[in-house]
Amino acid sequence: MVTREDVENIALLSKLFVPEEELDGLTKSMQEIIDFADTISNAPASAEGFDNINNLSNVFREDEVVPSYPASEILKNAPEQAEDHFLVRNRE
Amino acid sequence: MKYELVSGFETHIELSTKTKIFCGCTTQFGGEPNTHCCPVCIGLPGTLPVLNREVVRYAIKAGLAVHGKIAEIAKMDRKNYCYPDLAKAYQISQLYAPLIIGGYIELSNGRRIRLHHIHIEEDAGKLIHRHGDTYVDYNRGGVPLIEIVSEPDIRSIDEAKEYVERLQQVMRWVGISDCKMQEGSMRCDVNISVRPQGSEAFGTRTEIKNMNSITNIARAMEYEYDRQVDLLESGGKVVQETLRFDDATGTTSSMRSKEDAHDYRYFRDPDLVTINVPRYEVEQLRAEMPELPDEKLERYTDDYGIPEKDAALLTKYRNISEYFDKAIEGVKSPKTVSNFIIGQIFRRVETEADKEVFAVATTPAQLNELVKLLDSGKIRNNLAKSTLEKMLDTGKSAADFISESDMGGLDDNALLELCKNAVAGNPKAVEDFKNGKAKAIKALVGNVMKNSRGKADAQAAEKKIIELINA
Amino acid sequence: MGTIAAIHEKLVSKQVSCTELTKAYLKEIENANGELNAYVCVTPDEALQTAAAVDKKIAAGEALGLLEGVPMTLKDNMSTKGIDTTCCSKILTGYKPIFDATVWELLKAQNAVMLGKTNMDEFAMGSSCENSCFGGAMNPFDVNHVAGGSSGGVASAVGGNIAAYGLGSDTGGSIRQPASFCGVVGLKPTYGAVSRYGLIAYASSLDQIGPITKSVEDASIVFDAIAKQDKRDSTSLGAVGGETYSKLTNDIKGMKIGIAREYLDGVRDDVKAAVLDAAKVYESLGAEIVYFDLPVLKFALPVYYIIACAEASSNLGRYDGIRYGYKTAHYTGTHDMICRTRSEGFGEEVKRRILLGTYVLSAGYYDAYYKKATDLRGTIIKAFNDAFAHCDVILAPTVPMTAFEKGHATSDPIETYLTDICTVPVNIAGLPGVSVPCGFNEKGVPIGMQLIGKSFGEATILNAAYQYQQAAPEKFTDTKWGVKL
Repeated sequence: MVTREDVENIALLSKLFVPEEELDGLTKSMQEIIDFADTISNAPASAEGFDNINNLSNVFREDEVVPSYPASEILKNAPEQAEDHFLVRNRE
Repeated sequence: MKYELVSGFETHIELSTKTKIFCGCTTQFGGEPNTHCCPVCIGLPGTLPVLNREVVRYAIKAGLAVHGKIAEIAKMDRKNYCYPDLAKAYQISQLYAPLIIGGYIELSNGRRIRLHHIHIEEDAGKLIHRHGDTYVDYNRGGVPLIEIVSEPDIRSIDEAKEYVERLQQVMRWVGISDCKMQEGSMRCDVNISVRPQGSEAFGTRTEIKNMNSITNIARAMEYEYDRQVDLLESGGKVVQETLRFDDATGTTSSMRSKEDAHDYRYFRDPDLVTINVPRYEVEQLRAEMPELPDEKLERYTDDYGIPEKDAALLTKYRNISEYFDKAIEGVKSPKTVSNFIIGQIFRRVETEADKEVFAVATTPAQLNELVKLLDSGKIRNNLAKSTLEKMLDTGKSAADFISESDMGGLDDNALLELCKNAVAGNPKAVEDFKNGKAKAIKALVGNVMKNSRGKADAQAAEKKIIELINA
Repeated sequence: MGTIAAIHEKLVSKQVSCTELTKAYLKEIENANGELNAYVCVTPDEALQTAAAVDKKIAAGEALGLLEGVPMTLKDNMSTKGIDTTCCSKILTGYKPIFDATVWELLKAQNAVMLGKTNMDEFAMGSSCENSCFGGAMNPFDVNHVAGGSSGGVASAVGGNIAAYGLGSDTGGSIRQPASFCGVVGLKPTYGAVSRYGLIAYASSLDQIGPITKSVEDASIVFDAIAKQDKRDSTSLGAVGGETYSKLTNDIKGMKIGIAREYLDGVRDDVKAAVLDAAKVYESLGAEIVYFDLPVLKFALPVYYIIACAEASSNLGRYDGIRYGYKTAHYTGTHDMICRTRSEGFGEEVKRRILLGTYVLSAGYYDAYYKKATDLRGTIIKAFNDAFAHCDVILAPTVPMTAFEKGHATSDPIETYLTDICTVPVNIAGLPGVSVPCGFNEKGVPIGMQLIGKSFGEATILNAAYQYQQAAPEKFTDTKWGVKL
């Protein structure tokens, strides 16, 4: 059972606001989707298990320095910046 | 009612690899803000992590240094939470299959603090708060960390302090981190609870986060122990919470708010593949490992008879013990070498930092040569000591200060001559001695030692002088 | 002759200059995009700059690679340095990457002329392209129908001849489904064949980049060019099965073509008929049709949504208004800023999938949903492997229906998810799949069929698709739009 409280907690974890008036509708559609997802509970347990597609292992890079990007590039898309730092003002 | 302190530590240590864990940016400390970054470590959409091979090797070395078991299969997981210093809104870490399982740190009281596991993960960026605004620098983001999680085996503040010191020592020893708490390359989260003495059940614990000095760890634990005991004695209950320690007031206070929900929703990171650690590679790394401090301590005390206090000084830093090991090659008594190092050489390296580096003018080979001269009887202890001082001053070898004439024993005639001269030249001392002042003989012996440039055997000289006086 | 070869011939024989050709495409984009809404960003300056460079090469008598000077497009979830890359989401408005996706680096190095970035469902979540903040892309066969999703813009552009080819991405069918709706060819390579570096992630263990083209030959050429191992993508392997172009013309006599009975259940009659018709064509070419059962298919869709949404909820956590993209105008405190930014910046479907993904990963539900779904991947992979013991390729419909009408986007999310039922199992198993047109409904809107191959078996499925195109060219019709070569 997906409850209103569940949806509120999930929204908090996801850092999303759900307006009060949408909460019930959203809870209902989440319930439908979860019911749909629940169909896998009937599925037979897999003997194979699954690790990763192509069963790859030990893909590494060497510990050699690669020049970093200049701060101006790193900050290029920043909505707000100051003194070469990303900035989040307390309030707007 | 007496309450027992119960504590476990989660220690984060920055690995001193050249580059970050998932990209080629430098891990160098400092640097202008956001100049050690690239699309991967600031988590630009579309970027992907690639694991630094050296990070795995360093972590395995750390695991071997604490007698842990190296996993055959390890995996990387995502720990999801939202915070401005975490560029991807998840930290790549390990939960389900960490690299190292178990291990321990043995304390001087014989107790072992067991480790639960060690895992690798990436560090977050740095936040600066100013007037309520938040400034973010991602230089530190992606720096490789190992997290060492202990069992709640610690039973006193002294044990806690020693645990951290030993951890610091052994990690520096095997060269995987400089473990500088004041620079942030080693940080501890302290879990602490109390329970009535004799009780088996654990009390509710609190977690004091981000402790970066041993002094403050002790202060924080003392405060928190008292706080919890007071709470329980007055009928209250300890609430499980995350605390921060206020350096200025010496108190702990709650850190988390409702917004920081705890569900990290760990799942296997699909962008990274499995880490297989073949046993031969573990053996190879084990063979490359230096002898560990506690192993050296045992060898120095058991095999060489060096007093424990001295052995502890010799094994505190790897450079000192390696110097010692080279200097004792083929000598009669390693204890002699130990005395020279602790008695004289240590005065030249006063600070702990100097001792850790142990850059002294005299090489182990030079010290070894001097001690062998002593062993052969060609020179006496006093001459050896004074020669060492000159060697340390100049960096030159013993041979530069000890001439042929200094070497070789003093034959009986030469000794007799010197004794005669001493008696003749010091009538007052002779008079005092005849009058019962036993100590007066020392001045006469000293005179012989001085004139023989330390070559005379002091005991034989004393005997001779007494003979002459009584004659 | 495929489009790429045709263009190449025109360029080297100097029938047309690259600049003239590029201008022609740009003009047709202007004419058509109002109705097709395929492009969300057109880049005439960059395109003409590359065209000029190609013309210089031609004038100097230098040899020209097949892909050089060919006008193309990239779906707007592929990073292009200095050029807007938005995933058709408000939350990435104005975002200009500081690096290129690997696939774009590879094509740029071959002087590909990029005309612009094309439309998609927001963050690749959707099956109609109508989940785009720019409005949906329309079907070049009938603009009252959608182009499909999520790579609707690419399919529409290619079908509408306003790009010679394009790169789309496929997580649950997002290349194959719009290709099927728009009557063009769409290849989803084996997971790991093409680097994901620079592809803005939706579901990391399912996403793959692949070509959408007019003909099978074009898909083969583009695949061969982009299927290279990339050190920056730990999951990348490149074309383990080797190049595909030289094998297109192999004889398929004796090839075993499997049809899973479950695949034909629940699809519309016209789709079923067209696919069975294609089976007959294959038989006439000497291939053998083998029927078999694949019961695990019924779990594929819930497994897909659990895994895809879980990974997406994690991949999309980074959009918080701090380092790039949209940021809310008014807020109090960081937590408030982040919540408002995300709630205002993401569309409804994206928010729904993030919430679902967070749910299936959360404490108490992880084992029943995410872990169980992941385990079932192993079961599904094994089922396909067992099937391939008895056949060389699997033939199936691409979508149970043809393109929906504009605005049909239903309020029932499950019904929308069901459109992916034929494509999703292929992503779960990491296998290659190509969609080719195989018929039309009574309105003349295309029907597509899928050829699914073994892991790294792109050469085999493209070979089978190529021979089909040779035998049934009438299924590969043109539309009224765009550049006529």
